[in-house]
Amino acid sequence: MTPAKSDLLQGTLDVLILNTLQSGSQHGWGIAQRIQQVSDDVLQVNQGSLYPALYRLEAKGWIRADWGNSENNRRAKFYALTRAGRRQLAEEKESWQRFSAAVGRVLQAT
Amino acid sequence: MKTQLAAAWRALFHRNELYRDLDEEMRFHVEMELEKNIRRGLPAEQARTEALRTFGAAARHQEECREASGTRWLEDFVQDARATFRGLRKNPGYAIAAAVTLALGIGANVAVFSVVHAVFLQALPYGAGERLVRLRQDAPGIGIRDAGFSPPEIPEYAAQTRTLSAVAEYHSMFFILLGGAEPERLQTGVVSANFFDLMGVTPMLGRGFLPGEDAAGAEPVLILSYDYWQRHGSDTKILGRTFKMNDKIHTVVGVLPPMPAYPDANDLYMPSSDCPFRGSAAAAHNRNARMLTVFGRLRPGATRAAVNRDVDEIGARLARAYPDAYPKSGSGFSVRGVPLADELTERARPTFLILLAVVGLVLLLACANVANLTLARQLRRSREMALRAALGAGRGRIVRQALTESGLLALIGGGLGILLAAGGLRLLVAFAARFTPRASEITIDSVVLLFALGLSLATGLVFGLLPALSGNRNLLTVLNDGGTRSTGGIRGRVLRQGLIVVQVAVSFMLLIGAGLMLRSLWKLQHVAVGFDAERVVTMRLSLNFSKYTNGGERRTFHERLLPALTDQPGFSSVAIAGTLPLNQNGGPQNSFFEIEGRPAPSKDLRPQADFQQVSPEYFRTIRIPLLRGRAFAGSDLPDRPLVAVVNQTMAEHLWKTEEPIGRRILVDGVKDWITVVGIVGDVRQYGLERKPEDQVYLALEQFPSLSGSILVRTTSDLDSVARRIRHTVHGLDPDQPVDRARTLEDVRSEAIASPRLTSILLSIFAGLALLITSAGIAGVIAFSVGERTQEFGIRLALGAAPGSVLAMVMREGMALVAAGIALGLIGAHALARLMSGLLFEVDATDPPTFLAMSVVLAGVALLACLLPARRATSVDPTVALRNA
Repeated sequence: MTPAKSDLLQGTLDVLILNTLQSGSQHGWGIAQRIQQVSDDVLQVNQGSLYPALYRLEAKGWIRADWGNSENNRRAKFYALTRAGRRQLAEEKESWQRFSAAVGRVLQAT
Repeated sequence: MKTQLAAAWRALFHRNELYRDLDEEMRFHVEMELEKNIRRGLPAEQARTEALRTFGAAARHQEECREASGTRWLEDFVQDARATFRGLRKNPGYAIAAAVTLALGIGANVAVFSVVHAVFLQALPYGAGERLVRLRQDAPGIGIRDAGFSPPEIPEYAAQTRTLSAVAEYHSMFFILLGGAEPERLQTGVVSANFFDLMGVTPMLGRGFLPGEDAAGAEPVLILSYDYWQRHGSDTKILGRTFKMNDKIHTVVGVLPPMPAYPDANDLYMPSSDCPFRGSAAAAHNRNARMLTVFGRLRPGATRAAVNRDVDEIGARLARAYPDAYPKSGSGFSVRGVPLADELTERARPTFLILLAVVGLVLLLACANVANLTLARQLRRSREMALRAALGAGRGRIVRQALTESGLLALIGGGLGILLAAGGLRLLVAFAARFTPRASEITIDSVVLLFALGLSLATGLVFGLLPALSGNRNLLTVLNDGGTRSTGGIRGRVLRQGLIVVQVAVSFMLLIGAGLMLRSLWKLQHVAVGFDAERVVTMRLSLNFSKYTNGGERRTFHERLLPALTDQPGFSSVAIAGTLPLNQNGGPQNSFFEIEGRPAPSKDLRPQADFQQVSPEYFRTIRIPLLRGRAFAGSDLPDRPLVAVVNQTMAEHLWKTEEPIGRRILVDGVKDWITVVGIVGDVRQYGLERKPEDQVYLALEQFPSLSGSILVRTTSDLDSVARRIRHTVHGLDPDQPVDRARTLEDVRSEAIASPRLTSILLSIFAGLALLITSAGIAGVIAFSVGERTQEFGIRLALGAAPGSVLAMVMREGMALVAAGIALGLIGAHALARLMSGLLFEVDATDPPTFLAMSVVLAGVALLACLLPARRATSVDPTVALRNA
């Protein structure tokens, strides 16, 4: 994995994680499953990127981690959005939409 | 911020928990994946493999997670710190040597810094103390230095100054406190009512003096100093209590906060009207009663130069208006303001500047030594380091670990150093008190602790960075030679040798400093003082000025006291003198006089001398030799011709080859001519280092003075003599204090106490330096011998004489020492120049000291080389070669 590629993925992955957590707290595996599901298996989340991303987001204070029980009653670490995370998500979403709309326009023009 | 702190906290103290969490989190993920695979219908074995494969390298993910959580550096630090402690525990010799060396170096610096901080850096303990000045007047052309001010000048300066917002007066007196078990002699500051306001001092209890309390006829009041108040029970209800002082009853109106013992170590303060001399109607107009010290506070915006111009103009104006009371023009008469900070600290500056330089050098030495120890240790670990580098530890990481290690060692050393400094603080305060009244302010406060912390970290950086940067990380070379020849390359070797040269140079500087001081002390101790201090006991006797108001009354007291004391068994000779010899608290109190038949062109150009009143037995009691003529006799009474005895210096200075005996002089303030009847030997009257000046002794009975000292030559011990003197004095007058019993030898050893303590301090530091350096030399030579074992083995096998091998090693060591001494010569020269103010009759380039210290250093270094060098000759060639 070259750093350039991971950087690109990293930013995207961060938004995806934040967005996933909007509907409620979730553990790492659940986050990965949900992203895959929602994207119809287009987006495969690499665990080697997922967990560092979670720790980075936690260090930035955008998500909070707590130990809880999973659906099959096992101890799991659940991540939840913080208020700062919600703000961040709104910003990222907006800039993402602006960006993709711009890219779309450029692609249609040619 | 809170989450970051929590994360840092966890990384620091719950690292294992963090790892466990990560582990568990990832295991959970794999298990969920596994279940999903099983649900998808994969066989168990394949489901597991698949789950693990998709997850990837868990350890790697964990590592990245730790990196991402932003506390990696902290974890590294904790890891390094643990490794350091483990390493130090495994190698306690290194740890102890390094920590002790650093503790001594840092401790010495912290101790001296605590003095420098309290005395020179802190604001004066007066409100806006930087705006305070003391006025002084000088006339260097006619030998007048720092003359006092007279009572009529005070209102004149206050009215005429444009740069000072207020002017206050001060002088110190002894009053007698009566009503206790024994009369007590109290040092009293006598001040104008605005004194404490001007100084910016607010009493701790009660109030300061009110305007008008210094006017004639005001109710007698007094203010206690903090020390006196504390010595007498710290009574918070003392306000309003009365003290019977001499013939007046004073009411306590205030207690001062702790203050520097400046201008004097006063027990209490009174308004100026309470001093019978200052307060008398005659003194109010007497321009020759120069008894007062004057303080001023600068107006906002006034510069020191403006103040000096201002007060000098006032002085010149007064000199023109009252020409009889001031020096003639051409005498260089000037008035100026000395900043109070200089007054309080000037005398301490040279000594503590030198001490600061010395402890700085000691720390440098300690750093060099620990760097060398670290270097040697690191070379032993070069395989470990190279391996770690090969396994992927970055250069930064390795340097960081080395710095963590040195930083922690330095902090341990610093902690021990602070304890050391705190332990020595009391001694240091006592030492500093000899030079400055601010010594009482010396403490180890937060600023000093911060300094200690900063110094420790800086020290760790210095001795850690050197070896860290010179480390050998080339795995191939290190592993190739199997660790036996891992010399760290040329660079490490040059570095180690360079450090030794620096250590020798620094030690040499310190040795020179101590050597010069010791030589100066030796000269001071061997000054011919001109009297015999052995077996003389002295006590202070200041007659009660409100009781013995005239000469007749004082004489009567003396005439009863002296025979009563002489009658005591074992008192072979008894005398009273105005001041004791070697009196360091004052200088000569010069008066002008005229020699009969030699009229001077102007009154300012007349000769001057110091005048001292002594009783007839004085010269015999302390064995000042009578050179010619006669000493005073009991028959030299007021109704007989006035007589004087002069010292040898004066006889030679003023009469040269003529015979002084029989000549007459006329002294300012004395109506009749005084005839010189004898010449005595010179005495060091005002300090050991002060050359004898012109001195006139007058007969006590013809000029009976109030203050003086009793001197008794006796074989009895101090306590019993003191008891008998006190008993005799109180027998004559129970209200008359007599105190401060000392032997004249105490007085003499007190006179050299400051230089002696300075010498001891410098010698301790120099000895320490020598010890550290010789250990360093021995260590480096031992290391170099160890490195070259095979070479020596080959040389010996090929028939080299053991002596030649020894000489080879010694040459290497002594070349470093010689280079160090050469470098040290330059530094020592600079240090000695800095010290010249502290030296007595010793030149800063004193060749014997430089020679002696070179020999001492070279000798110790030779021994330090010899011990490890001998190992080179005992190398067994077969063993050395087999290990090759």
